Amino acid sequence: MELALHIAAAVCITLGATFFVAGTVGLLRLPDLFSRLHALTKADNLGLGLIMLGLILYAPGLFYALKLLLLWVLVMVSGATGSHLIAKRALRGDGEDLQ
Amino acid sequence: MSQPALLLAFDIVLLTTLLALALAAVLSPEPRRAVMLFIAFGLWLSLVWARLHAPDVALAEAAIGAGLGGALMLAAARRAARAAQRGTARRADDGAR
Amino acid sequence: MSEFMPKFLLAMALVLLLTMSAGLVRVIIGPTPPDRMMAAQLLGTSGIATLLLLSRALNVPALLDVALIFALLAAVSVAAFTRRRAGADQP
Repeated sequence: MELALHIAAAVCITLGATFFVAGTVGLLRLPDLFSRLHALTKADNLGLGLIMLGLILYAPGLFYALKLLLLWVLVMVSGATGSHLIAKRALRGDGEDLQ
Repeated sequence: MSQPALLLAFDIVLLTTLLALALAAVLSPEPRRAVMLFIAFGLWLSLVWARLHAPDVALAEAAIGAGLGGALMLAAARRAARAAQRGTARRADDGAR
Repeated sequence: MSEFMPKFLLAMALVLLLTMSAGLVRVIIGPTPPDRMMAAQLLGTSGIATLLLLSRALNVPALLDVALIFALLAAVSVAAFTRRRAGADQP
């Protein structure tokens, strides 16, 4: 039972790290700002989610797992809001600072 | 690979990138770019503290160094850019007169 | 297996750290400021993942709190970056 849990955790964490690598490659290679933003946020949220899932499977206690879940929700909310703000500002070009 | 070897590789990557980031931030000509590199530097330094088993220092570094300091310095860089532009505009005016 | 897991987590943290150093290139070369801010955001998220893995691998549970602060302050710096002057909507 424990072995199966550990294997599932390892698979999830490996998949999550793959998503992070894919997101960084997208950030470096894609041609313009909005496609870079698209690659980054998707890979970002899913990668972190999979790593969280793996760590929850490997967590020592219930409290630890709950804290991880809370952290994941916080990152999802702040990441989505932040990407939206950046995209809106880049689209309208109406930031406070000079271009 | 054994655990100490992995930790050594981790430390080497951590430290070389920290030095590169610090140099890039100091040598950057544009204030706003320097501020963003400073934010990245703060996050990275906080990772170093975490690796050194000092979560409290990492907490303070992330909160003060990267977060609040970065936000304040972004505002300051913006204000400096605006003041510089106003200054050059006034100089151009004086030259025309 | 209990021998293997901490080493595996450390190796994954090392992979994420290498990814973060590659992403830093975008902060340095990024042509526009939003590019740089996006790269900083990716840095924050990968930093959170690295901290979580380190917390379990080195057995320091308090690193979870550092990860929470990372998540909070990424939002603060993005908000500071995208701030607009009051009344910018009026022509």
